[in-house]
Amino acid sequence: MSLIEVIQTYWVYFLIGQFPDGPLGGLSLTIVLAAGGLLLAFPLGLALAIARMSPWPILSWPVTSIVYVIRGTPLLMVLFWAYFFLPSITGQKISQFSTMLGALVLFNAAYLSEIFRAGIQALPTGQFEAARSLGLSYFASLRLVVMPQVMRNMLPSLVNQFVSTIKDTSLGYIIGLSEVSFIASQINNLVLTKPTEIYLVLALAYFLLCFGLSRFAFWLERRHARSSVLGGDRSKMSHPAKSKLTEQT
Amino acid sequence: MRYARFISSFILLATLLSPLARADQLADIKKKGEIIVGVLGTDEPNSFIDPATRKIVGYDVDLSEAIAKKLGVKLTLKQLSVAARIPELEQGRIDLLAASLTHNKEREAKIDFSLTTLVTGQRVMVRKDSGITAVPQLAGKKVLTVKGGTQEPNIRKAVPTADVITFETSLQAFIGLQQGKGLGYVNDEVSLFNNYGKLGDAQKDYIILPQNLSIEPLALGIRKGESGLKKEVDDALRALEKSGEAERLFFKWYGPNSKVKLDKRTFKIDSDKVDG
Amino acid sequence: MSFDLNLLLAGTYHDWLIQGLRLSLGMAGITLVLALPLAITVAMFRLSPLRALQWLGATFVESIRNVPLLAHMLFWYFGAPELLPDGIKRWLYAGNIEVLSAIAALTLYTAAYMAEDIRSGIRGISSGQFEAGRSLGFSFLGTMRLIILPQALRVTIPPLVSQTLNLWKNTSIATVIGVGELMYQAAKVESTAFRSAEAFAFATLCYLSVSLILTVLGLLYRRRFPVRVA
Repeated sequence: MSLIEVIQTYWVYFLIGQFPDGPLGGLSLTIVLAAGGLLLAFPLGLALAIARMSPWPILSWPVTSIVYVIRGTPLLMVLFWAYFFLPSITGQKISQFSTMLGALVLFNAAYLSEIFRAGIQALPTGQFEAARSLGLSYFASLRLVVMPQVMRNMLPSLVNQFVSTIKDTSLGYIIGLSEVSFIASQINNLVLTKPTEIYLVLALAYFLLCFGLSRFAFWLERRHARSSVLGGDRSKMSHPAKSKLTEQT
Repeated sequence: MRYARFISSFILLATLLSPLARADQLADIKKKGEIIVGVLGTDEPNSFIDPATRKIVGYDVDLSEAIAKKLGVKLTLKQLSVAARIPELEQGRIDLLAASLTHNKEREAKIDFSLTTLVTGQRVMVRKDSGITAVPQLAGKKVLTVKGGTQEPNIRKAVPTADVITFETSLQAFIGLQQGKGLGYVNDEVSLFNNYGKLGDAQKDYIILPQNLSIEPLALGIRKGESGLKKEVDDALRALEKSGEAERLFFKWYGPNSKVKLDKRTFKIDSDKVDG
Repeated sequence: MSFDLNLLLAGTYHDWLIQGLRLSLGMAGITLVLALPLAITVAMFRLSPLRALQWLGATFVESIRNVPLLAHMLFWYFGAPELLPDGIKRWLYAGNIEVLSAIAALTLYTAAYMAEDIRSGIRGISSGQFEAGRSLGFSFLGTMRLIILPQALRVTIPPLVSQTLNLWKNTSIATVIGVGELMYQAAKVESTAFRSAEAFAFATLCYLSVSLILTVLGLLYRRRFPVRVA
């Protein structure tokens, strides 16, 4: 079987898995998982960031420990705990998809909280103080004055985090979730004679997706640096956040 | 150390709150009109992907279909890794396991089994040029197999000094053997014969060692204590045996016209007892 | 089933897990030693005045960072070695090809990230320094080695420590190509003895302890050598 034939036979399976007669799989599942894993992590990540910076140690201290624990553990380990032990605690039946999604949300939340925190801290404190002295409450100042600016500053980091999340979904392979790495291995197992080519195609699929997105992040960063009044300062601020925090697995 | 305490209390919680006792599972299945069966999807010919239809097919799948039909419910297949089979069943994420599952005494402590649906040996495939002709010669050699099944403990028992390397799926171990990354590849006989069949012209370079590491009765897995469901499943299997359908399915997947090429069926679906 | 601590303190399962921990640490150590010089080289490429080298460096970094480590592992184990001539292949496969492939994948992956950290560290040094070096008669490499790198490394150490932390966590992925590291051994204990809670608790604790040590080292360094703002 030549590589062309392999691609002709399996490309649909590679892209969508058993869908529509079975569950969604392949590259589509990878994207759905990554998008879900990042978007759902937003509120949690924001809550963690705000809790970490809160003036009350009773809140900031445990939250800081949780963030450290999650960031010090391999995602694979988090995944195993979620898969094998979470159901015994909650008594809930959850599928591999939800397990993977849950682990990604938890993991992303810890990383997002750092991105948010860096973003909030990089904002001149005058902004927050001005909001407070205008009579806004602590939370109202955050919501109305601080967050909108932070979000815009953090956009490139968020796109990069999305790239990391896409790569993280590959671990679904280990729990038998039919995302694209699993599907590629399955195809490899059926074809038997083309491992180099098949894994190169897999790598290429990830590359196109992730490289495209990281170029997009780069473009956002550029555009932002140009348009922003405090451009110089802020682009410097988003840079370390990107290189230190978002690179995972 | 605060992390240690965090983790240990977490574990304590996890082990104290074992899965909650549930109402009768059979009634649940009938109520929702659907039975969720866990399959591997990576172990030809028991369950694997058919490239043309992108559906999981195989002996395990046909048996599951027959059972779903008997119960009058819809069949939903769920793909699992070998290592996750028993935890998935115990935690109730699936109703039934049809996943090349060996019925043995150790596992009886965790789950229940249906009548034995297939009896197969477990053997080792080697490359001819390795010069290996008997299992004991694998001592100190690299042997490849799948993670989380009975294959690993069985080969360790047979050849304690073998260097066993495991992968997520058995076919990856098979590819490892083809590439020469190990000298032996351990699997259930039916899967080995199937893999051998797929080798085509290269068959002359491989042999399957004659010795059985063990005899493996494969069965469907049922959650502990679900006697209602077990009875229905066993009845369905008995009916398959009686009508000759079981025999037909056996030859469909394992017979002379399949890649496995077995010419006789040495067992009947009639017992759920195993020894050893 | 209660939590059996004794299982972790002695006996076969204990030995397996310790063996796994050793291998994980060993792989991380070897990878670090190999990845650092590679990362410095790639960073130099990206900053060099030659277009071709810049392009080469950028291609290395982008092609590696945009593919998950798991796919790298599968490729370096099942794919790449197959392209080698038979003799070398046989020699490689007779040895511990699993660990070798894992180290190859980890080294490239880690180096790609570290190269970027080193590059931004270097770019943080004011260009006046570089020009001063050049006008004092040092070559490009001489200026880099004697003037820029010593300063850049200081700024770069904290991000490199967090990359090392990532590397440590990433060793767990080698489990998919049959490397007997910590995660693999934990799974083995799980499937042999059905003692999943104990095995995974042990592995989690090991991962966390090493991560914690690395985090603390990073913090101490930052405290000892704060980044001077010019």
